[in-house]
Amino acid sequence: MFSRWNWVACGFCLVLNICSPDASGGLVQSCGHIIPESPVLALGSNFTALCILNESCLDFGNIYANQIIWKIKNRVVPKEQYHEINRTVSSVTFNDTSSLATPLTCNILADGQIEQNIYGITVTVGLAPEKPKNLSCIVHQMSRFTYVMNCTWNPGRHTFLDTQFRLRYSWPEELFPDCIPKGVNNSCTVTDIQFFVNTVIWVEAENALGKAESDPLVVDPIDIVKPLSPRNVSVSSGILPTVLKLSWENWISDAVMTLKFNIRYRIIGDTNWMEVPSEDTASRRTSFSVQGLRPYTEYVFSIRCMKEDGVGYWSDWSEEKTGITTEDQPSEGPSIWRIIDESHSPASWTVHLMWKALKPFEANGVILQYEVTVRDKSSLSCPLKKYNVTSTNYTLQLPKGTYEVTLIARNGVGASPPSVLLIPESNSKAPVKNLRTLPKHDKLWVGWTAPNSYVLKYVIEWCLVSSSSDCIIEWQIALGDVEGIDLKGIKPFKCYLITVYPLYADGQGSGQSVKAYLKQDRPSKGPTVQTKKVGKAEAVLTWNHLTVEEQNGFIRNYTILYKTIDGNETVVTVDPSKTEYTLSSLTSDTLYTVRMMASTDNGSRTGPDFTFTTQKFGKGEIEAIVVPVCLAFLLIVLLGVLFCFNKRDLIKKHIWPIVPDPSKSNIAQWSPQVPAKHNFNSKDQMYPEGSFTDVSVVEIEADNKKSFSEQDLKPFDLLKKEKSTSEGHSSGIGGSSCMSSPRQSVSDSDEGETTQNTSSTVQYSTVVLNGYRDQTPVQVFSRSESTQPLLDSEERSEDHAGGADSTVQRQQYFRQNGGQDETNTDRPCFERTKQITHANEGDLVGFVQLQVSGQSSQPLGLGMEKNTQEAALSNVLQTCTEGQAVRPETVEENPLSVDDMPKSYLPQTVRQGGYMPQ
Amino acid sequence: MAAADSPSTALRRRDLCSRGIRLAGKMRADVVDLLDTYVEQQGLDASASVAAVEGVPLAAVERWDEQTGTQRLLENLAAYRAFRALLAQMLEEQREQLGEADAGLGRALAAVLLQVSAFAYHLEELLRLESRGIPGEEGDGPPPPPRLSLFEQKLRGLGVLRELAQWAVRSARDLRQLAKPSPATGTAPGLAESP
Repeated sequence: MFSRWNWVACGFCLVLNICSPDASGGLVQSCGHIIPESPVLALGSNFTALCILNESCLDFGNIYANQIIWKIKNRVVPKEQYHEINRTVSSVTFNDTSSLATPLTCNILADGQIEQNIYGITVTVGLAPEKPKNLSCIVHQMSRFTYVMNCTWNPGRHTFLDTQFRLRYSWPEELFPDCIPKGVNNSCTVTDIQFFVNTVIWVEAENALGKAESDPLVVDPIDIVKPLSPRNVSVSSGILPTVLKLSWENWISDAVMTLKFNIRYRIIGDTNWMEVPSEDTASRRTSFSVQGLRPYTEYVFSIRCMKEDGVGYWSDWSEEKTGITTEDQPSEGPSIWRIIDESHSPASWTVHLMWKALKPFEANGVILQYEVTVRDKSSLSCPLKKYNVTSTNYTLQLPKGTYEVTLIARNGVGASPPSVLLIPESNSKAPVKNLRTLPKHDKLWVGWTAPNSYVLKYVIEWCLVSSSSDCIIEWQIALGDVEGIDLKGIKPFKCYLITVYPLYADGQGSGQSVKAYLKQDRPSKGPTVQTKKVGKAEAVLTWNHLTVEEQNGFIRNYTILYKTIDGNETVVTVDPSKTEYTLSSLTSDTLYTVRMMASTDNGSRTGPDFTFTTQKFGKGEIEAIVVPVCLAFLLIVLLGVLFCFNKRDLIKKHIWPIVPDPSKSNIAQWSPQVPAKHNFNSKDQMYPEGSFTDVSVVEIEADNKKSFSEQDLKPFDLLKKEKSTSEGHSSGIGGSSCMSSPRQSVSDSDEGETTQNTSSTVQYSTVVLNGYRDQTPVQVFSRSESTQPLLDSEERSEDHAGGADSTVQRQQYFRQNGGQDETNTDRPCFERTKQITHANEGDLVGFVQLQVSGQSSQPLGLGMEKNTQEAALSNVLQTCTEGQAVRPETVEENPLSVDDMPKSYLPQTVRQGGYMPQ
Repeated sequence: MAAADSPSTALRRRDLCSRGIRLAGKMRADVVDLLDTYVEQQGLDASASVAAVEGVPLAAVERWDEQTGTQRLLENLAAYRAFRALLAQMLEEQREQLGEADAGLGRALAAVLLQVSAFAYHLEELLRLESRGIPGEEGDGPPPPPRLSLFEQKLRGLGVLRELAQWAVRSARDLRQLAKPSPATGTAPGLAESP
């Protein structure tokens, strides 16, 4: 217990001792210190530090060197590196200072494992300066008397330390002030330079770890001068057109150094400099005449200088100055060519002379005019014709012939040599051979094989082929000893037509042409294909050639690609000269999609799709089907007609039975009483049985009534079945049925529905109940389905609704029926009957003529009785009248004359049991 | 002069002579320029006639072409040593008078002073090549000039510069003479050449 308190007290005292102000020193009295204090260490070297404890701390703090802990920036140094020298000194050793960091502290592990810092030092690690290398100096002339020397060097590796560089220089007996670099460590500028004395120059680098000096540079500053470039440079033209005089001033005096110069010049606009030979300007001077220049050409000059002996540096080039040489007469005649237009007149030419403006180095000045002289070589007496032209072309109207054209260009100094062009009457000389082209970068080389004869020169014409404009000819002249030239200004992807003419001394060869591209591309669009004709298994495709602007190259081929909707694509290659192609082996009635591709050497371009559908039938197939069918049909019709013709009597007999005219019937002739009138019943007039007032009555024996009551209805059934078209039976509407009761038969015809569609049919039923005269009456019910317009009067009566017309209608009716006049209105019926009777002369006993009313439900017959027999008969009649033209109006339109009309036609006597087909 | 120059010695002497000639030429040009500046700055008349200044060696000499090379070198060395002292004194006086107000004149004087020193060095090197001892500078140098008035100082300065310009010309000619190859023994004087 005591011991513990003792330790606490000692620790407290230790803290107080460490922290208490020292009366003699600073605020803190340390219990120890480290040697060395804040060392600067070489990187990679070894280092040993000592921590020395104060004796006072030993007493109060009870601490010793074996309790020291070394730390580098909070990291404990391994104890293997410690060494306890004595009880107050501990050392630590680092074999490589690169592992060091700041701070390095000495600490004490006091009782209670409390770590207490004793002292710390800052360790600086770096490198000694390397020897500066590559020292070089240049003396720059700043003004006429001012020179500065700038020296540069390689400072070497980075030292990680503050390193001072100093440029030092001296004469053997005099050391000049050092030059201290500012902001850099590899250059310095000295301002007080003295020439003509060898100066020793060197660089010193120094830091905490050492000092290094560069190798000395011994140099006379005059030998490293870079002078200022000459000033006030001027250019003046001399008397000669090929000379310009260049003058300047030097910055540097001859006393300091003599200079040599370097002069360069170029034509303005040109980028290439030419230099005056250096030996010509290797001496002191302030002017120089540059010779060999082009007349009337603007030149740019520049000059530089350096020490005459070549030791030192060239100055910068001076500012550029320009000068123009004076004019000289043109050195060359213009190149001349012609285009001959023979279209206006067969006997004369329109000659378009054209020549190229002289290039500046040929013109040697401003061309004021051209003199054109034309001489007719075919006529010696013809005088020369001279023309002064200011442009570069001239058009002449000349008779056909051989001409010599001379051209001279004239400027302010003189005239050019003449250019001569021979225009022969015909290009009869040999042409060039093997004309060909070859692209060379941005030029198009045109080559040919020379003719055997000597050629003065060649004219190469070329023009851009266009579909929209004329070929604008450009041309160029080549010497006769060449067999190829490069055409410049040729655009890529454009077609050019190139023609080469050889010019001989005594004539001219015909031109040879070739088309060429400088560079080809794929076409700008593809051909638009369409069908010209589409068949069942083939289609004829047509397209237009691409325009020359669209081709972008030589079209090598066309490719047709076609396919069905779900089929594979078929490819056909077509010659580029064609504009039509027939696709074959197509599937009929199929939708095809076709497109076309044009190809050049550099690619292809496809045109738009076009669709077409093949036909279902081939050519002639429809004709092959239709024609035989038509022929067969016609044949059948013809056969039918022939058949009908042959059987016309039979047909007529069945279709157009002869309707007997009642007025001409025999019964009409013998009937004692002719009904004064007979009319149709109206709907609302029902006549009671036995109320007939105006009826001709034919006696019929009463005992016969029963005999045709039932059995005679059968023919009506037959009639129902066979209707009116029944051959041979239609007219036999059962006279027998009518025979049962003529009155019934009449009444049955009143059913309205049966008469709606039978307007044109007049039906007659003849019931012959009694024998004629002394003959045994034959029961005959004769029906006529004749469409004979007997009742046209009824149709016309439709327009007459009034009862006042009833008489007229009636008259018309009977007139039509019998052709009788009004006064004898009853006669027609009987006349008609008479006709029938006449036709069956002796057989007809009587008949009942039934007029079937259209919509009337009233029986047309007179005194109809409504019994079952009537109903049955009515049904039969309805059936009979189907499809027959029965005019219902005939009933409706005569209501007012009902009182006057006969209620019925009485059956007339027909031979008993007879049937008379009509 | 050495009886037989080694090639390196001859090359060294030629180089020193060449450099000295050019230095003398530049020194003359600079002194001429400095004279204009000096006259203007000091308010003197460029045409003012200045009597011989005490302590300033005269460039003009009789029988110049009869002098030996060593003799020429020694006379030149003596003269330029004197000029060095005079120019240093001028520079100090100029600084005292004008302070830093006219740094340009001071820099020009300093530059000429450097050239004089450099030329003296050339002469000493040539004398060494001649295997001649270099005369030591006189103890404390020339006796201090009497105290002069300010105007007299300006005139003396003008006289120093004018004489220096003359000496620059003469020195160039002397060195050219020395640069020529010796005719025989080397002890013979250089070729006659009028200054």
